[in-house]
Amino acid sequence: MTTTPAPAKRITDIGPPHYEKFLHPLIKKNYGQWKYHESVASGVLRHVAESGDEIYSVRAGSPRLLSTATIRLFADLAEKYCGGYLRFTSRNNVEFLLDDRAKIEPLKKELLALGFPVGGTNNAISNIVHTQGWVHCHSSATDASGIVKSVMDALHDRFTHEDLPAKLRIALACCLNMCGAVHCSDIAILGVHRMPPQISKETLPKVCEIPTLIASCPTGAIRSATYDGKPSVEVTEEQCMFCANCYTVCPAMPLNDPENDGISIWVGGKVSNARSAPKFSKLAIPFIPNNPPRWPEVVDAVVNIVNVYAKHARKYQRMGEWIERIGWPRFFELTGIPFTRYHIDDFRYAGTTYARSTHIRF
Amino acid sequence: MAVTVEQLAEEMYEMIKEAMGKKSFKATDLAKAMIAKYGEAEVSKDDCKHAIRVLIDTGRCVYSYFGGSYITLPHKEGAAPD
Amino acid sequence: MADEGVKTTLLDELEKGPWPSFVKEIKKASETSPVCDDLLGQLELSYEEKKGHWKHGGIVGVMGYGGGVIGRYSDVPEKFPNVAHFHTLRVNHPAGWFYTSDALRTLCNIWERHGSGLTNMHGSTGDIIFLGTKTDELEPTFADLTKAGFDLGGSGSVMRTPSCCVGQARCEWACYDTMKLCYELTQTYQDELHRPAFPYKYKFKCAGCPNDCVASIARSDCSIIGTWKDDIQQDDAAVAEYAALGLDIQKDVCDNCPTKCMAWDGKKLTIDNHECVRCMHCINVMPKALRPGKERGATILIGAKAPIIQGALLSSVLIPFVPADELLETLKELTGRIWEFWSEYGKNRERVGELIQRVGMANFLDAIGLEPTPEMVAAPRDNPYIFFQKEDGKPKDGDGQ
Repeated sequence: MTTTPAPAKRITDIGPPHYEKFLHPLIKKNYGQWKYHESVASGVLRHVAESGDEIYSVRAGSPRLLSTATIRLFADLAEKYCGGYLRFTSRNNVEFLLDDRAKIEPLKKELLALGFPVGGTNNAISNIVHTQGWVHCHSSATDASGIVKSVMDALHDRFTHEDLPAKLRIALACCLNMCGAVHCSDIAILGVHRMPPQISKETLPKVCEIPTLIASCPTGAIRSATYDGKPSVEVTEEQCMFCANCYTVCPAMPLNDPENDGISIWVGGKVSNARSAPKFSKLAIPFIPNNPPRWPEVVDAVVNIVNVYAKHARKYQRMGEWIERIGWPRFFELTGIPFTRYHIDDFRYAGTTYARSTHIRF
Repeated sequence: MAVTVEQLAEEMYEMIKEAMGKKSFKATDLAKAMIAKYGEAEVSKDDCKHAIRVLIDTGRCVYSYFGGSYITLPHKEGAAPD
Repeated sequence: MADEGVKTTLLDELEKGPWPSFVKEIKKASETSPVCDDLLGQLELSYEEKKGHWKHGGIVGVMGYGGGVIGRYSDVPEKFPNVAHFHTLRVNHPAGWFYTSDALRTLCNIWERHGSGLTNMHGSTGDIIFLGTKTDELEPTFADLTKAGFDLGGSGSVMRTPSCCVGQARCEWACYDTMKLCYELTQTYQDELHRPAFPYKYKFKCAGCPNDCVASIARSDCSIIGTWKDDIQQDDAAVAEYAALGLDIQKDVCDNCPTKCMAWDGKKLTIDNHECVRCMHCINVMPKALRPGKERGATILIGAKAPIIQGALLSSVLIPFVPADELLETLKELTGRIWEFWSEYGKNRERVGELIQRVGMANFLDAIGLEPTPEMVAAPRDNPYIFFQKEDGKPKDGDGQ
């Protein structure tokens, strides 16, 4: 390892601390004995135990990328209002766990004053699950935090109000690796490359193993070749679908391209089993160019889809359930999004998404 | 057991050294090669696991990651600045 | 912050607006950590050029582990020397992401001492992410973390850090103790978490009910989703109360039931539990009136993944029901067999779901010793190309020995 010498006595393989140490006494007492919950206000949940005990969760949005200064601020708030007990949600919100109802409003007030919106519960749009983007990723086709910030600025009221027909979950991944596994979201914002890898022929033989590189391509577009008497590769460009898998195993195959990288938008996925089965998100918009710092075209596209959904979906219908009811042609018509050749799948199992009936709405 | 963990570690080390720059091995590649050489009666998967642990814990080998995790000799990282 | 001349004209635009700003966070951190100035500088450059400036490192880590550290190097180190190295540590989070203020401050102290002071709470797999430090600081950070009772999470071809929903800590729908199972799986497989021995990554996610708040069916190779076997617990008085408060039980509840197993006559809700697929809709709508049954456990599903390499997959059913108190033992036994088969036959970078696609589910079931059941499929095959097995055929005359 490229590290400094290890200290004499190292502790390893201890795993995470046991969660019980971090549980609010009231949660410890009523663990597994919760009876029901209800929404007190947007961003505030009340859970009631069989014992009659109550715990209130106050949920606030965070940018996910947090300085220790802000974490310390959360710690201070937790101490001030709820004995120091808090948690984070699977969508990067922070939740304060209160046993005193009277403290909800003062906490909310303080959170808002500090710039942390309270909401994200039930039929609100929750925080956008996202990846690292230009802040920390080597393979990103776009930034993550900047788009999330811009989209959430525009959807702020949808976070603080529970007024959508159902839950609406947005996720962003800055490339097809999908560290954010966005492929089952109501709306997925996905960074895409559009140009084949540019082979760094000089460095390739020094940093990459050619057999591994060839094997990495899902479509078999990479073949061995010789460059300047040294082993190298060539790419059959028509077979490249810009997944960047080759780049993951070989840094001499970069796909980054400022003018050709950008954003695609996918809709109608879900992971919950409620009503209909979990489903993948489907392509809505194949490409929007990167336009930092605020990606206005992406923001408009997402807001448009949200607004059309909010206006037309029936109560309890998730995005995908609504689209299944009205049909995809109407989705494109209502949103004004053009349908193109790129919307028709041509990879494995492509045929499963073709219309194989005469059920057509006119 | 006819083959000791130390012996396995030594053989794996040679295998990794030999192929350095041409091919990287994953933990399973090393184990499969040892079992193929000595037979399952002589070498178990656990022995191989221990042998790899010996190589890693002594710092003779390190894990590397490029799309998948491999076991290689310590070397200066290609991406690291000079 | 920008005192030493870091101009962030584009990034400054992202300090505006009502949503909390990550740029403000980086600037806050830069008050105490000089590396954040260079991070801002490099990020501003990315915003100008519409392009990332990180290189992937593959070898840095802590002694003995093959995971938990993601190597990162700037590709413009001459401009931004303080982020020439900018490695990430994944720190295994406590189950359910619960903390005390003291625990958070301990983590902050460690990270301010050794790194940029920037974090993600949390990363995609669930870990606490410490964002950005130098190679020399990795081992000291690790030493401080373990002293404080924290350990690194997974990266590379390992079992990745398992994660779970809030479960029985604060949810009446949790059909098993997700936090306990998550913690125990993590502890059981510490070696597999830290020392890469698999063809590729393997993820566990524990969801307490079919609402699946941790997206286990989309994001984990092994999805453990709580469910129940007996009847939905029903409180008729509470149903009537919902109706009195204006809930349209017929339209909002019964009409949305996927199997139409519910009937409402204006006074009494009748559920044909035998037909119920445990989708959670009615329970979600009326949490005071309806609750999961008492015979609780989980469905175990296999194979979810994001697109790389062969396309995205959702998990599919492997064991329809395991009682809650048998989950850990069943999973340990099953996981051992799955890992053995996958390690033997999986190709480099092939997730278990892709292996199943390649060899066929039936062969996979044979390999791990499970009997096929109709719950595993949405429908039986519709293509007649059946690989009949020799032992199922009748030997021809003279063929018997």
